[in-house]
Amino acid sequence: MIDYSRLFLPGRKLGSMQKIKRILLTGGGTAGHVNPALAIGSALASEGTRFLFVGVRGRVEEEVVPREGIPIRYVRASGFPAGISTALAKFLLNLLIGTVQSVFILLRFRPDIIVGTGGYVSAPVIMATSFLRKIRLCKARVFIHEQNAVPGKLNRLMGRAANRVLVTFPETLTFFPKNGALVGYPLRRRIARVSREEARHKLDFKIPEGRKIVLVFGGSQGSRIINRALVDALGSLLPARDRLFIIHGVGLFKSREYNAIEDTEERLRESYSGEQLKSIEGFYVYRAFFHNIELLYALSDLVVARAGAGSLSEISAMGLPALIIPKSNLPGDHQVMNARAMERAGGAEILYEQVTILNGRLSEYIDGKVLAEKILSLLQDDNRLLEMSRHNRTFLNQNALALIEQQILGNRAVQVPAPAVQPPEAVPLPGNAALLARLERAHAKLRSTYRPERVISRPQDLEYLKNRASSLLLHPEWQERNVGVKLLGLLDAREKVPSLVTLFFDREPAPLLKRLLGGDFKQVGFIRRNIITALVRLNECTPEVEKALLTGLGDPYYEVRVESAHAAAFFGDRLSSPEPLIAALIKLLSDPVIDVAAAAAEALGKIGSRENALPVLLNMWDTKFWRVRAAVLRGILHLVERGEATDYEMLEKQVPQFILTSTDFKPQFEIRSAYRQLMESVSRKKAGGSVQ
Amino acid sequence: MIYFLGKYLHPHFDTFSFLRLVDYLSARSIGAALTAIVLTLFFTPIFIRYLHRHGYVDQSRDTGIASASDKAGTPSIGGAIMTGCVLVSCLLWCNLSNVYLLVVLLGMVWFGGIGLIDDLAKTKARSGDRGLSETKKLLFQALFAAALSIFLVSPFSPLPSGQLGAFYLPFLKSPLFNSIWIYIPIMFFFVLVVGNSVNITDGLDGLAIVPSVFVVGVLGVFGYLLGNTIWARYLNYPFLPGTGELAIFCSAFAGAGIGFLWFNAYPAQVFMGDTGSLAIGGCMAVLSIVLKQEALFLILGGLFVAEAASSQIQDKIGIRWLGRRIFLRAPLHHRMQHKGLAETKVVIRLWIAAGILALAALATLKLR
Repeated sequence: MIDYSRLFLPGRKLGSMQKIKRILLTGGGTAGHVNPALAIGSALASEGTRFLFVGVRGRVEEEVVPREGIPIRYVRASGFPAGISTALAKFLLNLLIGTVQSVFILLRFRPDIIVGTGGYVSAPVIMATSFLRKIRLCKARVFIHEQNAVPGKLNRLMGRAANRVLVTFPETLTFFPKNGALVGYPLRRRIARVSREEARHKLDFKIPEGRKIVLVFGGSQGSRIINRALVDALGSLLPARDRLFIIHGVGLFKSREYNAIEDTEERLRESYSGEQLKSIEGFYVYRAFFHNIELLYALSDLVVARAGAGSLSEISAMGLPALIIPKSNLPGDHQVMNARAMERAGGAEILYEQVTILNGRLSEYIDGKVLAEKILSLLQDDNRLLEMSRHNRTFLNQNALALIEQQILGNRAVQVPAPAVQPPEAVPLPGNAALLARLERAHAKLRSTYRPERVISRPQDLEYLKNRASSLLLHPEWQERNVGVKLLGLLDAREKVPSLVTLFFDREPAPLLKRLLGGDFKQVGFIRRNIITALVRLNECTPEVEKALLTGLGDPYYEVRVESAHAAAFFGDRLSSPEPLIAALIKLLSDPVIDVAAAAAEALGKIGSRENALPVLLNMWDTKFWRVRAAVLRGILHLVERGEATDYEMLEKQVPQFILTSTDFKPQFEIRSAYRQLMESVSRKKAGGSVQ
Repeated sequence: MIYFLGKYLHPHFDTFSFLRLVDYLSARSIGAALTAIVLTLFFTPIFIRYLHRHGYVDQSRDTGIASASDKAGTPSIGGAIMTGCVLVSCLLWCNLSNVYLLVVLLGMVWFGGIGLIDDLAKTKARSGDRGLSETKKLLFQALFAAALSIFLVSPFSPLPSGQLGAFYLPFLKSPLFNSIWIYIPIMFFFVLVVGNSVNITDGLDGLAIVPSVFVVGVLGVFGYLLGNTIWARYLNYPFLPGTGELAIFCSAFAGAGIGFLWFNAYPAQVFMGDTGSLAIGGCMAVLSIVLKQEALFLILGGLFVAEAASSQIQDKIGIRWLGRRIFLRAPLHHRMQHKGLAETKVVIRLWIAAGILALAALATLKLR
């Protein structure tokens, strides 16, 4: 059908009166992108509207979209790689091919509206659109929907080419100041308001009366970490078995490494006795998948879930209090950001995955006991649950689809209703490198009065940053692991001392090429040195730390030996078994590297005794390097001050033996001293004057 | 100038017959050296006051060694006055129609100019880290390096046509190869590497200037010998007509260097800055190439090579890639300081080392 009005009035743009004839939907890779696209599509559909979906082969959309009866075309696309490598070349090639393919698709389909919901497939499509718009071959209006609180790099770029960017979270508006609009998350499911009694009837298992109901699930696929943690938590929840009921969605995940249902059942059998299992059955039920999740939402008092935008929107739509366990180390940390947004709004508590030691190695994990404790403490506080529920109901816009319709079909000047909650201060937290720089500057300035709280004031932020830093410990690049170690020391993450010690003991060798040129282990010299420094900053003298120091004193890299000696001196009397350390330090006195021998000498002064340290130190009166001799003298000074060296006559005779010629000196510039004294006096007077 | 004056006057006027001394390279060299020293000694204090008055002082970075922080506030464009005095001295005493000389002077001025812009930018930004960007510096240097390489193999090159692509090794009489195409990239990279090699060494008072004087001095000797048919044949070196003039340049440089040392010795009153170190690097590079003694630089300029190499290895391979320090400290003079040597001791010991290397380089003259 030819649209005559467009023929005769070429300048006229689509107004609210025009019917949208052709809509192109693009977005995919995961269900989190495909579902919103389909939801928006169904909202915009009317008589005679034609749809086309553009996706990538082999992803979710290939499965789901044809089933909806929407025609689908495929283009080439791949994800944005991190650095310069062959992946970058592949990405650019795919982008080029995908864009060319999209150009042809656009020319053939001639859409009026293009809706992109994310995933890297939208990149070639939107690039093709921009290109065609520039040469005036395409008049489509482009709308992008961003599901996450912090948009990915790609969407941030594409956002500039779009007519409007429709965002889910209020804080996202700061990324798209010119064309952002807050709409919420378009939910496909008609989350019907079912009453509790009705819901109970419809279930295929019985829930006894008077129980608080907790729904736990990790998305449709499930989450290994959450599943295992919940099974572990059951033991600690047994005492409360008359007061709660847990509904566990294990998930459909099936692969060689992990089969959700089987793994869960096996863990249950192995962790609990027959008797315990019988009691557990009284308050716990699990399934791979629940088809009637609306019913479960209707009767839950608490939801424990991942932080995908879809789940959070459903939880918000139902107004349920939530304990969110975000998946860590995703690109842009987007689940963590979403969770924090909900936490800031007061509707959720966050439980972060912890980097801990499992089977002697570092990995991500949640302690069942911690999970149990969190659940119980939340369930006990009814007021808190009510508050959280209230906040959640207003957290995300409920009428997302209506708002989206308005944005796309309506007058471009339409006002989006102000969000019920004022968008909270989205003060972006510094990235790890920037954070490290800030903390180091503060530490240098404040010295002994330094505390991380003086730089990061909100405790939740500090908690999040500690978590982010500890997950850096697992990063494949050593530079990042190094940053993580330094951050943990500066953020006062005492609970991470065992992880740091484990990392220190990791002696996996570096690749051959690096070893040939002077490298040693995968945990490079700088990392090992900084771990010792961090352990000193964290100020915890456990037996493991002492073991680490002992190993450090024998480390192949000289800076580690130096730091370990400094650490031994620092912990001083707090060491529970100083003898092996003293023996190692004595060996280090003849170390070929000056710094090491000097540090060892001073450390011996701080932890040695008149029997083991003094004679050795006195014996070094003619050692080759004056810097070592000076350190030895300082070491003997420490012994004297500690009262470990009391034979003063002997000292008066033996110490002058020390060779005192040196090849260096500290220059004193008379004019600079005079200058300094003058400036200090001036500033003192100035400060004193203003106090009055 | 005196050259032309002398050349014009002494044949015609008996009163100026003493000016026939200008025919002798040795006479002019000594004249150039003395002029340079006097000029430098005279003008440097004036220049220092000027720098202080206009705030062109060193914006020091903390290198973690006690004495380094006392360097802040010392004027750091001393290289300009040094270059200037060399130029004036050459203008007076050199035969300015000599192409070799012009090429070397151009190299010194070009690189010195880059250094000057960098120093000025640093003082403006009040930070030791923000001068001209690394890429811009390299770009300009590369421009000169490319131009030089091409010029030296072109028909306009002052070098005899049989030597255009020849590359010599110190102890061998015949060139390793004689191919223009392989030689051009070698020249190119040589200029870039050597041009920047003095920069790292200029970290302690007086450290860079004396070894530079040694290097340039030895190259001056080479210039004199290689430009002399008798000596060149006797020593089995390729005869390069006209390089004798370079001996005058090198003498001027030595003079200016010593004059500069007068003020630069510890504790220094003025630094040479990037202006100086790049200028020195530039002229050393061009001298080496023009005299066909590139490979000799490994011995002759061994100190600069060691300092630059240790610094690059420590930074690029050690700190960035391996994740540990390979050397105790880099560059070389930092390591010596770290082990407990005073700044003055380090400087003098490295002078001795440079002197030994210079003698070794001279020894290669006979060891063929």
